[in-house]
Amino acid sequence: MAPATGMSTVDRIRARLRRRFRAFITSRIPPSRVVTLNQKRIFIFPNRVGLFFGISLLVMLLAAINFQNNLSYGLTFLLTTLFIVAVLHTYSNLSGLTLRAVHAQPAFPGQQTEFELQLECSRRKEHVGIYLKWPSSNASTVNLVEVNQLRVQLHAPVGKTRGWYSPGRLLVESTFPLGLLRCWSWIDLDLHALVYPKPIPSGELPGLATEQPDGAAIPIEGSDDFYGFRDYRHGDSLRQIYWKGLARGQSVQVKQYAAYADRSVWLDWDMFAGLGTEQRLSHLCYWALEFDKAGDEYGLRLPSMSIAPDIGERHLEQVLRALALYGDEEQ
Amino acid sequence: MKALQQIPRNALVWIIISMFTLVLPHIERIPPWVLAVYCVAALWRIMVYRGRWSFPRWPVKLGLIFAGFAGILLSFSTLVGLEPTVALLLTAFALKLLESAERKDAYVLLFLGYFVILTEFLFSQDLFIVLLSLLNVVIVTTGLVALHRPGDNRFRMRPMKQATLMVAQAAPLMLVLFFLFPRIGPLWTVPIKSQQAKTGMSEFMSPGDVSRLSRSGEVAFRVEFNGDIPARSQLYWRGLVMSRLQQGTWSALSFYEAPASERRHTEPERTGEPLRYSVILEPTQQRWLYALRYARSTDSGIMSSSDFRLFRPIVIEDDYLYQVRSWPEAAIETNLSAWRRKTELSLPATDNPRARALAAQFVEESSTAAEVVERVLRHFNAQPFVYTLQPPLLPERDAMDAFLFDTRRGFCEHYASSFVIMMRAAGIPARVVAGYQGGEVNPINRTVIVHQFDAHAWAEVWLEGEGWVRVDPTAAVAPERIELGLEEALAEEGSFLADSPLSPLRYRNIDIINTLRLRYDALTYRWQAWVVGFDQDRQFSLLQDFFGEFTARKFAAVLLGSWALVLIPVGLGLLLRRRTHELSKLDKHYLAFCRKLGKMGIERDFGETPQEFASRAQQALPRLAASIADITKRYNALAYAPPGANETELRDFIRTVRTIH
Repeated sequence: MAPATGMSTVDRIRARLRRRFRAFITSRIPPSRVVTLNQKRIFIFPNRVGLFFGISLLVMLLAAINFQNNLSYGLTFLLTTLFIVAVLHTYSNLSGLTLRAVHAQPAFPGQQTEFELQLECSRRKEHVGIYLKWPSSNASTVNLVEVNQLRVQLHAPVGKTRGWYSPGRLLVESTFPLGLLRCWSWIDLDLHALVYPKPIPSGELPGLATEQPDGAAIPIEGSDDFYGFRDYRHGDSLRQIYWKGLARGQSVQVKQYAAYADRSVWLDWDMFAGLGTEQRLSHLCYWALEFDKAGDEYGLRLPSMSIAPDIGERHLEQVLRALALYGDEEQ
Repeated sequence: MKALQQIPRNALVWIIISMFTLVLPHIERIPPWVLAVYCVAALWRIMVYRGRWSFPRWPVKLGLIFAGFAGILLSFSTLVGLEPTVALLLTAFALKLLESAERKDAYVLLFLGYFVILTEFLFSQDLFIVLLSLLNVVIVTTGLVALHRPGDNRFRMRPMKQATLMVAQAAPLMLVLFFLFPRIGPLWTVPIKSQQAKTGMSEFMSPGDVSRLSRSGEVAFRVEFNGDIPARSQLYWRGLVMSRLQQGTWSALSFYEAPASERRHTEPERTGEPLRYSVILEPTQQRWLYALRYARSTDSGIMSSSDFRLFRPIVIEDDYLYQVRSWPEAAIETNLSAWRRKTELSLPATDNPRARALAAQFVEESSTAAEVVERVLRHFNAQPFVYTLQPPLLPERDAMDAFLFDTRRGFCEHYASSFVIMMRAAGIPARVVAGYQGGEVNPINRTVIVHQFDAHAWAEVWLEGEGWVRVDPTAAVAPERIELGLEEALAEEGSFLADSPLSPLRYRNIDIINTLRLRYDALTYRWQAWVVGFDQDRQFSLLQDFFGEFTARKFAAVLLGSWALVLIPVGLGLLLRRRTHELSKLDKHYLAFCRKLGKMGIERDFGETPQEFASRAQQALPRLAASIADITKRYNALAYAPPGANETELRDFIRTVRTIH
């Protein structure tokens, strides 16, 4: 009966409970780019401090009973009802808070990336001491006081595989005002970070395809013969900016090299025939980065699509995105 | 994560404020060095916050703890009892501040603060103390609120607003719990609360004791009559009956000193209409209660002694409310037992020979016991006796002889004592009764306020056929004491409350002070009657009055109903609170513009700048391209202009938006 994995009964029950809870949360708080916290999404329960407070109240009640002291009774009851009123206040501190996914930066596997979200108070005046954390990210505590919206950046490492990475559910928590109750929600902001393929160098570029009619393979290295300047265009690499000229007060200019004026390279899926999909993508990624570094024009040809040769950061982003999402239907 | 657990500066300030306001009501009962500990602890903690000093290391902390214990032990010479315990708690409270680095330490400190408030109630349930304690609850709660506002790095009153609001919302619920929560007896015996002596009657009376008490203006007890208040001269509040004279000191017989057969008194015939009244006694640290004779009480826990007094087996440590019925005309103990007669006649063999001789002379001259009493009183009246709060010192031996024949100046205890000695010498059973006489009627709520200076001693003699009869020899010397009170009796001497120049009682002739004093006293009485004296019996009768038979179901309904009545409005108020920040006119109209374009199929994406949106919209709607560009340009210009600078341009902008269709 016991599975070969050697899971104990307790572990199995725990795993099942966790699955159940996840299913419950998913059905209760479905993924959405914008989430407003309301009674359907907020959980509230006394925390450890609340328990400690409860024990203190019990001691005070015992003192009141034993000393037959009516004012001690009164104080104990006042604090008890303060606790009950605190339930409403703690809840209302989180209720009405709107969280909006802003964006997540793409990253290479295992790297840290930045997730940005925006907090807005929709109906309430202020939200104090809001604690935000994804399971793997750093935590941030923010106040929404005297402002209506606030951007928060959280950093978390992305996964090891290319494609969309989801940081999981975001924990939104607050114990304000008295700290006796923990009020929290687990929300899925439908915020995904793009993970590029892991760049893996290949010895040399086999069968380099170019736009040139002769189709000859041109070595990239050593092709940095200076050719001239031209005006900066949006998308030019910062490496090529002629900083010295800029420092002298000239307009922003870019150094041009002889080699890439005539060479534009096609990075082709078929270059790495015989390798596995991931291996191919990793090599293509590596070469795209290499060409970008060198400032050469390059294009990408995948079985399903192709991107015309170009240069610049936007182009690189486009190429890497295509590689990251290769095989993914929703490109 | 680390930063989250630190104590915000604002919270630290509130915690230090709360420390001092918490120790304030305790000041009179803690040694002064504890206050010094508070100042040092606060200073040290502030220096730590400023980064000048560091938190004490553990050997220093250990040293401080030992020093605290040693200090309490030296100051109180014991660690047992309520006062040393509270002083120790307060010291620990101050020292805890010195190791409060994290939020969890602050919790300990603040919860301890709530407990310190409770300890104050064990000493005093005064109205003023209650108001101060309520303020303390708010301040400690403020500390708790401030602790959860990260990033408050300067002193702010704002958390106090929230704390006050929450305490105010909690208060009505508290009242419901207070009146409904079942009162049960103590679960285990607690140590005698206070070792501090209280001003009041003691079990022994020697010359000078009552006069010393009469220098105090404190309230002894308050009485509310159900019906008319009897004449002042009839208000003899019996407390102690003193039957034994030893070495010039009168004392009461304890319950066990009487033989078993004498421990219960015979039931007198209850003649006439009883007086009904309730008494709220200030804490006495004694067991006996004060009442007019012949008194009975139906309250549970009140017993009747063989000399017709009321007492309670438990020491009275708090304000104590009890109901009494008295039959002033009832004749008590018309048949005297042999033991009782012997006890009430016994005199030390050889004391006060001159007084005995005088008594023998009176017996010879009269035919009945009542006549002897009459003659002695006439003697006091006719001879130049003086009623004074400052009697001369009497010799230890034959003190009453010296008083009767030499000094002739005395206070009530001198007259009562010498009178009883002469009665006993004359073979008439007699005893001294100690208690209070008279009282001040508060016209505001018709209560009788009995002060310590109303303390009095008088005598009871046993007469055949009449039982114990009250005789007040002081009345023979200074009838104004009985008719008008001590102040009038001492008007010539001017010694009334001579030691308390600030007592409001001395300024009763100044109308406004007197009115204020009486109003405050009436408030105190109501407070004591309703809150302090609320116990099982009163709870039961209150609930019976309101709800008839009180069942568990009714209990639940009342509790839940009343809570819902408070919590639902509070909850709705919190959740439906509208945004106070309104969009500016400019933004409102720009958004209207965006909505208009949205209806035409061009929705502004989240985070899209007006410029980006405009270029997209212009491409999609070439027809409106010019207006879109115009509106966006105007919007950008106005949005970055100083507020309120361009009223006309704003109007133009709004007009342009309206032209879009």
